[in-house]
Amino acid sequence: MLYFVGLGLGDEQDITLRGLQVVRTCRTVYLEAYTSLLCFGLGPSAISTLEELYGRPVVLADRETVEQGADAILEEAKSSDVAFLVVGDPFGATTHSDLVVRARNMGVKVQIIHNASIMNAVGACGLQLYRFGEAISIPFFTETWRPESFYDKIKSNRLLGLHTLCLLDIRVKEPTLESLCRGKKEYEPPKYMTVNTALEQLLEVEENQKCNAYNGNTICVGLARIGNLHPMEDEMLAIFSIQSHAE
Amino acid sequence: MVKFSVEEVRRIMDKKHNIRNMSVIAHVDHGKTTLTDSLVAAAGIIAQEAAGDVRLTDTREDEANRGITIKSTGISLFYEMAEASLKDFKGERDGNEYLINLIDSPGHVDFSSEVTAALRITDGALVVVDCVEVNKLDRCFLELQHEGEEAYQTFQRVIENANVIISTYEDPRLGDVQVYPEKGTVAFSAGLHGWAFTLTKFAKMYADKSRVDQIKMMEKLWGENYFDPSTRKWTTKHTGSTTCQRGFVQFVYNPIKKIIDACMTGKKDELWEMLEKVKVSLRSEDKEQTGKALMKRVMQNWLPASDALLEMMVFHLPSPAKAQRYRVENLYEGPLDDAYATAVRNCDPEGPLMLYVSKMIPAFDKGRFFAFGRVFSGKVSTGMKVRIMGPNYVPGQKTDLYVKSVQRTVIWMGRRQESVDDVPCGSTVAMVGLDQSISKNATLTDEREVHAHPIRAMKFSVSPVVRVAVQCKAAADLPKLVEGLKRLAKSDPMVVCSIEESGEHIVAGAGELHLEICLKDLKDDFMGGAEIVVSDPIVSFRETVLEKSSHTVMSKSPNKHNRLYFEARPLEEGLAEAIDEGRIGPMDDPKARSKILIEEFSWDKDVAKKIWCFGPETAGPNMLVDMTKGIQYLNEIKDSVVAAFQSTTKAGVLAEENMRGIAFEVCDVMLHTDSIHRGGGQIIPTAHRAMYAAQLTAKPRLLEPVYLVEIQAPEQALGGIDGVLNQKRGHVFEANQRAGTPLYNIKAYLPVVESFGFSGTLRAATSGQAFPQAVFDHWEMMSSDPNDCTSQAAQIVANIRKRKGMKEKITPLSEYEDKL
Repeated sequence: MLYFVGLGLGDEQDITLRGLQVVRTCRTVYLEAYTSLLCFGLGPSAISTLEELYGRPVVLADRETVEQGADAILEEAKSSDVAFLVVGDPFGATTHSDLVVRARNMGVKVQIIHNASIMNAVGACGLQLYRFGEAISIPFFTETWRPESFYDKIKSNRLLGLHTLCLLDIRVKEPTLESLCRGKKEYEPPKYMTVNTALEQLLEVEENQKCNAYNGNTICVGLARIGNLHPMEDEMLAIFSIQSHAE
Repeated sequence: MVKFSVEEVRRIMDKKHNIRNMSVIAHVDHGKTTLTDSLVAAAGIIAQEAAGDVRLTDTREDEANRGITIKSTGISLFYEMAEASLKDFKGERDGNEYLINLIDSPGHVDFSSEVTAALRITDGALVVVDCVEVNKLDRCFLELQHEGEEAYQTFQRVIENANVIISTYEDPRLGDVQVYPEKGTVAFSAGLHGWAFTLTKFAKMYADKSRVDQIKMMEKLWGENYFDPSTRKWTTKHTGSTTCQRGFVQFVYNPIKKIIDACMTGKKDELWEMLEKVKVSLRSEDKEQTGKALMKRVMQNWLPASDALLEMMVFHLPSPAKAQRYRVENLYEGPLDDAYATAVRNCDPEGPLMLYVSKMIPAFDKGRFFAFGRVFSGKVSTGMKVRIMGPNYVPGQKTDLYVKSVQRTVIWMGRRQESVDDVPCGSTVAMVGLDQSISKNATLTDEREVHAHPIRAMKFSVSPVVRVAVQCKAAADLPKLVEGLKRLAKSDPMVVCSIEESGEHIVAGAGELHLEICLKDLKDDFMGGAEIVVSDPIVSFRETVLEKSSHTVMSKSPNKHNRLYFEARPLEEGLAEAIDEGRIGPMDDPKARSKILIEEFSWDKDVAKKIWCFGPETAGPNMLVDMTKGIQYLNEIKDSVVAAFQSTTKAGVLAEENMRGIAFEVCDVMLHTDSIHRGGGQIIPTAHRAMYAAQLTAKPRLLEPVYLVEIQAPEQALGGIDGVLNQKRGHVFEANQRAGTPLYNIKAYLPVVESFGFSGTLRAATSGQAFPQAVFDHWEMMSSDPNDCTSQAAQIVANIRKRKGMKEKITPLSEYEDKL
């Protein structure tokens, strides 16, 4: 059996009761570690916190393990119980549907244990979930790659009077461009997009497209570390105009 | 003993009409270097007596030993022309003093990259042609004892041949580039003995005597003009009379022959008489000489080679001011109406600096390099901060761009260098202090000129197809090897040093001889004599496809949210070559490119507009074409696909050799709606896999490099040559007897793989009578299927893969193609 277990948004305590019970019985536990992170990061102490709670060893699964080494995980799940931990909800911001489909095709049984995701926790800002349009991601712009397709989506959302949930890029253990070209494995240092960077990029795109989807005075809500109850690094929520934070 | 000072040279540099930049080019062993010596002698750098033996521009020991030139060497010479000889010169000039920047370049095809580099920075060339040989006239008069008419016929034929070759390079911008003896653009010279003449010289002599117009006289001295001394009449046909002879024979050939005969047979009284007639006076010690030595002195005095050549250069070569007016179009990459193009066009010393570095010359301590090049506009001065645009520089970006100070500017004079404060446009210059930032060549401008485009990179007519792996004997020498390879790469325009995946250091050169010289340099000069181990030669292959992919292949991105559909097909015949030649390339105007593709290669009009790029290295002979229709946001993945195409075409699926002649077509794409899920990390590996799959489904084939071998040999050696060629999978496609000689010129194709030791085997089979010269000619498809494990192609693939540390078996299609 392959269990997809949502871990929620905060720390190790946010796992559901059912999820915890499942994880404790599984032979192998994978932690998907590239689409989102729990608040305490990926260091050895973070893993050991989880291991202590679950009483099971936790294997860190980066993008390669999940995307290219999935067959190994599925093969294992054929004969024993495997838990695949996903921060947030397994079908939240990042969809693991491909893995589910492949598991089913291979005859591996799949069970999904849901949890909170930013897709619903964003309600914390006071805007109604009912009034959100298409969600988008804002990727880090590089020298040559500056995709602007999200602009059209924000534009159509705003035309319909809907909010847009903008997920900000996180790059953990991503191969560098040069290494992709040379076929060697080299990774970029981890990078997390700040709200300010996102705002700058948004303004740059508006500057190029000039369709007036938004402007410097458009009101935004910035959210960080939602669901985190840690006293030192509390969750953050702020309302401001684009202009005031982009520099 | 040097007849001129640096100050004088520097002074003339400001007179742009009085400069000539010239390369001396020719086939190997036709006497270029010897000829150059005569010129140098006239400038007083070496003694007149030694001219012909010193080979001043062969500065290297191995050059002297082998008697061939390996590196092109620059030399700046100063001459003062007599007012009288300039009176007919109609071009612009500024006084009687001339500066000649001469570059002696190698003749052996393996070193033709040196020639290319030399031609780039000069405005004209002295083409030396051997006609049994005209240039080695000494042999004509001494060994072969040609009769007058026969000699004329030989000369005539050689000049015709030369003109035929020249005509293939004709360019309307250059005007008439054919050479005519009667116009003074051909000099007949005996290099080794240091004498030469143009018809001008003789015409002038006779004109003075008989008061005939010099120009008319010149015309009479060549071609179908006959003179009969008994009737004192010129005719255009041979009259049949025994005293009637061709003008050339009567007035040019015979007098020379008489004098030479007199010298050689020791009839000194007759000789003195004749010499008096032609107004030649010898020093008394020269009069004591006999035989050859006497002949040499007499001829040098009568017809000094330098006079003939100088006259030709000054009269017929363009000055930089004249040449740059038409060269700018070919030289400058940027818009032809900007400030830089204008300055180059006008050869403006007050304009912005434009300087092209064509080669790096190792300094004598071998540690540093001089950057050698040509100033096209402005001035370069000691201490100046220059902006260095390397070959990969893209205007507006920061790649391959450096700012450095010129520590010293130097005028190059063979073995000597002289520092000067600055060098203005029109001349060649060597600079110290830039070697860290220039790998092989570069364009220099002033630090502030940020909008300048670079000068177009050189295209070489040969490519580095022969490679060896080098290792150092003692592991401790590895840093020396790495550093040595870097320096070697700098010192030669053609050699390529690289590191394989397996960690091997590879040195690639144009041919066996070229490589041998490079490795010697590496060992002795750049590694301080440390021992190296050299592998057997490795030949690079190319990968191509025979047919269109059997079906459209699909690959999924790692996250499975994106799908790319590709097909591969061979490029139309001749298209890869057109790309090689630069007739079609990334820099073209898309409209002009479409026109060629549609008209010559029958491309579809809509497809021709949708070429994404060329590769590898953005200009290689493979194309990426967008065949999709109406895909939203396709441009967001274009960069990733292009990046993948560049690396994929560099290392094909068969054996990671470069690809050649393949068009990859993007047939369709399915993309995730969110751009974060289709970044480079997702698209690049997917496009790479899809292209490999496409190549595998399109009947992949190997291309092997083939040499064009030219062999000169007497008739009796022909059988032996055929035998050796057959045994080495080569074949003769042309064999002509060289008119007037017992020698045959044979042209054959020979696979590079089979060429190692070819010269030796050939010599053995022909008792040393056949001399081959091989130059890379084309890529030939190997008909056998590399997927059939018994074929020769499969064997080659397996060997390459093994050498590169890859799995021996070609990776199966299932690794690259995904199912829905």
